[in-house]
Amino acid sequence: MIKKVCLSLFLTLVVIVGFSMTNMIQASSNVIYNDEDYERLHAVINHVENVLHYGHLYNPETNLLPDAINTLTGEPAKWEFPNRAKVPYSDLANQQNFLRTLVALSTVTGSDKYLNEAKSIIGEFMLNYQNINGLMYWGGHRAINLDTLEVQSTEADNGPHELKNMLPYYDLMLEVNEEATLKFIRQLWTAHFDWNTADLNRHGSYSTAFDSNVFGQEMIDDIIVMDEFGLPIIPDDSPGKLPFVNAATDLAYAAFTLSAHTGDPAPKAWAEYLMRQYNLASNPNTGMTVYQFKSTLVTKSPEECAIPTYTNSGCGDRVARQFRDFGPIARESNVQWKNTQAVYVDNILMLLEAADKYGIDYFVDWAKQYIEGYLDYTYIRIDGKNMIIPMFNDGTVVYGYITPEAGYYGPSNMRIDYVEMPTTYLLPILRTILMIEEDEDKVKLWTYFREIVDTFGLGDVGPLGGSAPNLNLDTSIDDPFALMTMVELYNATQVDQYLEVARTIGNNIVNEKFHRGFFVASDIMLYSRLDQPETLALLTLDAVIRGIDVNEMPYYLADSGYIHGYLLSDDGVTEDRSYTHRYIYTKTIYDWE
Amino acid sequence: MKKYLLLMLIAIVSFFIVSCDEATMTTTAVTTSESTSGTTTVSTLAESDIYQLLIEAEELSGMTRYDGLIIREDGDLELPTEYNGVTITYSSRNEAIISDSGIVTLPDTCWLESRSQDAEEVFENLNDNWPVVVDVLMEYMGQTRSAKLMFVIAPAAGFTCDKYLGD
Repeated sequence: MIKKVCLSLFLTLVVIVGFSMTNMIQASSNVIYNDEDYERLHAVINHVENVLHYGHLYNPETNLLPDAINTLTGEPAKWEFPNRAKVPYSDLANQQNFLRTLVALSTVTGSDKYLNEAKSIIGEFMLNYQNINGLMYWGGHRAINLDTLEVQSTEADNGPHELKNMLPYYDLMLEVNEEATLKFIRQLWTAHFDWNTADLNRHGSYSTAFDSNVFGQEMIDDIIVMDEFGLPIIPDDSPGKLPFVNAATDLAYAAFTLSAHTGDPAPKAWAEYLMRQYNLASNPNTGMTVYQFKSTLVTKSPEECAIPTYTNSGCGDRVARQFRDFGPIARESNVQWKNTQAVYVDNILMLLEAADKYGIDYFVDWAKQYIEGYLDYTYIRIDGKNMIIPMFNDGTVVYGYITPEAGYYGPSNMRIDYVEMPTTYLLPILRTILMIEEDEDKVKLWTYFREIVDTFGLGDVGPLGGSAPNLNLDTSIDDPFALMTMVELYNATQVDQYLEVARTIGNNIVNEKFHRGFFVASDIMLYSRLDQPETLALLTLDAVIRGIDVNEMPYYLADSGYIHGYLLSDDGVTEDRSYTHRYIYTKTIYDWE
Repeated sequence: MKKYLLLMLIAIVSFFIVSCDEATMTTTAVTTSESTSGTTTVSTLAESDIYQLLIEAEELSGMTRYDGLIIREDGDLELPTEYNGVTITYSSRNEAIISDSGIVTLPDTCWLESRSQDAEEVFENLNDNWPVVVDVLMEYMGQTRSAKLMFVIAPAAGFTCDKYLGD
């Protein structure tokens, strides 16, 4: 294996050197392409070449790649089932940023090699792993076994279809296999959405028949209506099909794509209907929005539901149970300290993408309402950090609350504390600002943006517009979201400081996260995850330096991919049910024997 | 000959040093000229300095000194209203407990009466202390910065706790 690694590194080096020579001629912007720019690009190429080399090496019979690669051995990450079967897996829903990286790499290098790789991977997948009803075998509970090339379920024998903020790279899919893509999008709605009640099941069945008249249903009235005080009434009649926004985001994005591609307005109308329910369910006084617009119907017996630790949704709203002391505002929909990435980052990025790409202008107003309301009420700086005050969406503070009993949200005597705001928030805030038309409407969000950027240690972006920044040019941040933010600011303003900081962040990312030929979360982490956004962010920076329009680059939307299901615990004995981000991506090089 | 060469070398080096220096001076002069004749650069610098002053006001004025503490007495929090020319104003989200001027009145009830999920068992003193958010506005020459402060206030001695909100 060591010989193979050395050979691979040597080949990679040859490719890189050759590429560098040709690119010295190709660079074509006013910005001088320097050695560090080359080094960052080399790191990305090195990573991509290694992923392709080792990914294909494991099973030469397929173009499919594993979701993650062991950076010590080059082998695929494996899901270990309770029966001790170790399965190397490929879940294309979790590889969308790698596909975008491949396309981006072809864009900046001018070589079709990587684009063709992307096409061959997604092409083989769509050809062989689409159920007859149209759903793809991917997502939270299905993957492809790279040993047998058979479909694998991680939830007993018949795991459902589930996408949560995976936002597939439809542009590429449509280019490679239009028919399969359109069929998938149509079936996504048939399998997940109830046209009569707007119930939305994050789980879709592979047994649901394909409906050729999908989106031909008569539009129904809004599910959310207001009470006498003008506040939304959240129905509690959902039979276990909770409309989580992270599943709805995927449905809406798919439908917008379908309408844009086919010219049929019906999918777009349904996507707007679906997103409108979340808007109606938002608190009209604070602007803060919701994770779901329904609660579940109580279907379990009083005896079962009398046990606090029995958190099945058939016992009704799980927040209403565990946070009952707060009264009627305590509903899952109203929580503003959990799942907020889905609500205020992924969902807003999709709304803005739909506004930009498909012309749904009022989505920008909604994005502004949500993120501005959220920051108005919850954003606080504590000990020099950007934090969130836990609260319900009417502004009722939950900070300091001690849970009397165990429940869905945690154990008894758990104290609800501030929640750290991750750098992912930078992108929805900035993109919202950039899409607002009038300057006076940007002031408040820009002020928050300025404070948040500064508190993250990036320095001062200056007054509205960002034309006079005073940035921390030596920042130690090594974060892809901060990098994308600086690149997008540079793209919007053409102020050199943003590019300079972006380069520094890019260098930091390479220094801190590029190890053993792969991008990893940190030097001690064992697995390199194909869905990581670092490489796409670095290539976006590279494109801007070369003078390539960022609109020509694949767009970052999410990196929420995961697998969920039954597995063998790390103790090697007990059965557990967990996620890849807890089971695979927590392993360090010291865990490997 | 060597002396001439040495002199020429010194002359050339001196020329470049002086030239570079002059170039620098010229650039500086232009910048200065732009600074005085135009308004953009001047206002930008001032804006940036003011921004840093507002950050300093938040961090050093003492407004955050109650972070992590439980306030158990009535009285004036003596929140700073000025820091090096920065005006600081407060807006409480619960004026009955903390006024906009920072006067604390201990509440005579608990924050929340906590019970078990079947509402049968009462958990005494579990959630007595009130979290109160105060919004802060710092202002200097028309430029502003916002912040939030979190205060935790204990109820007054002899408080009651019989207002269960769950049904």
